[in-house]
Amino acid sequence: MCYRKVIDSNSSKSWDKLVFEDSYTEFKMQSQLYNQDKKFRNFAELLQHVPGAEKLHFLVSAAVIGYLQQLNEIVPDILNNLGKHFLRFNKYQFEIINSDLQDKTKHQVAFNFYSEPLVWHDTIQNYLLVSEKKTGEGEVLTNLFQLQPYLNIYSLQTEA
Amino acid sequence: MERKSFLKSLLLGAITTPALLTACNKDEDTITPSEGTTDSGTGTVTNPGSSSSSCTVAPTETEGPFPTKAPASYVRNDITNARSGYKMTANITIGNTNNSCAGLANAIVDIWHCDAEGNYSEYGGSGMQSTNYQSVHFLRGRQTTDANGLVSFTSIFPGWYNGRATHIHVHIYNASGKSLKVTQIAFPEGTGSAVALVNGYAKGMNGYTSNSRDNVFSDDSAGIELATVTGNTTDGFELAIKLNVAA
Repeated sequence: MCYRKVIDSNSSKSWDKLVFEDSYTEFKMQSQLYNQDKKFRNFAELLQHVPGAEKLHFLVSAAVIGYLQQLNEIVPDILNNLGKHFLRFNKYQFEIINSDLQDKTKHQVAFNFYSEPLVWHDTIQNYLLVSEKKTGEGEVLTNLFQLQPYLNIYSLQTEA
Repeated sequence: MERKSFLKSLLLGAITTPALLTACNKDEDTITPSEGTTDSGTGTVTNPGSSSSSCTVAPTETEGPFPTKAPASYVRNDITNARSGYKMTANITIGNTNNSCAGLANAIVDIWHCDAEGNYSEYGGSGMQSTNYQSVHFLRGRQTTDANGLVSFTSIFPGWYNGRATHIHVHIYNASGKSLKVTQIAFPEGTGSAVALVNGYAKGMNGYTSNSRDNVFSDDSAGIELATVTGNTTDGFELAIKLNVAA
């Protein structure tokens, strides 16, 4: 599964706010490398006109890695039908969606969290019944969760 | 039998009591809009917040762990991240040309350079990063200068790649993050130099671009960007340079 968490100036949770503030500060610092004549004011212009500016996704991500670690590899926001976080991630991608050196409210970033492969058992209305991959016999613990915006099935594989 | 059912009803009682309690609480919690309280100001809500529009159950977990302020992962002395190579300590002093080149305190100094094979840390093809967080930004670091304008990094001796002489990138900011200078550090070369000793690691020196042919350093005849590099391949190398900026 892939969950894309968008963070912008309207985000209200404290984790989101820290990510918003620090990624904007880092963007303002790092973008100066690609904007030494101060010709451009937003991320889209930099991407379009300056070779290598796409590296800013990666360069700015260093500012938010501390916050990623605080998640302890658990995907935020996505809950099972008991209201508990259950999805673990082991890969992520950070991206800058938009940003503006003069207007902080235009700053918008996203995390894509990629979960471990899950075993799909059934679809009950718009709920999926899944479990983590398990080796060995016995009871399998499952999670029932709803398909929702920004949640995507990233890839499929068939068990051999 | 009788005792068992008695216990059962006790249990049931234990379960239902809190339910009753919550029911009572609910009544107390009900907000009754009171009249005549509109005199506390006028205006429109400009920050309504954002709530999820998806139809899922609300979180019902204990809050936390609480997020805490975390510095960028660049902020560290040792930027090696287990990259193999000869150890190198880089001592960079920042001077202020507006103050007779005296050491500039509290300047933020970013450095980055390639590994022994000539590769930089950056996003791979798919863009996905593993949660082995620290190693992602290998050989990139940030330090703030001390009272003497000095920052110190532990790293490895950089390799080289096609078209460029051995170099370290430096970006110097003032304390509030405003860019003061983007520059590069060059290495002495030729017989007896560290570059000759390291000999391009596994790659060798075939096709190496010397400083005089490098498109960044070739105009630096005064050697302003050229560092002093001492040491050996056993104990590691020490790089020292002073870079002056207008602050």
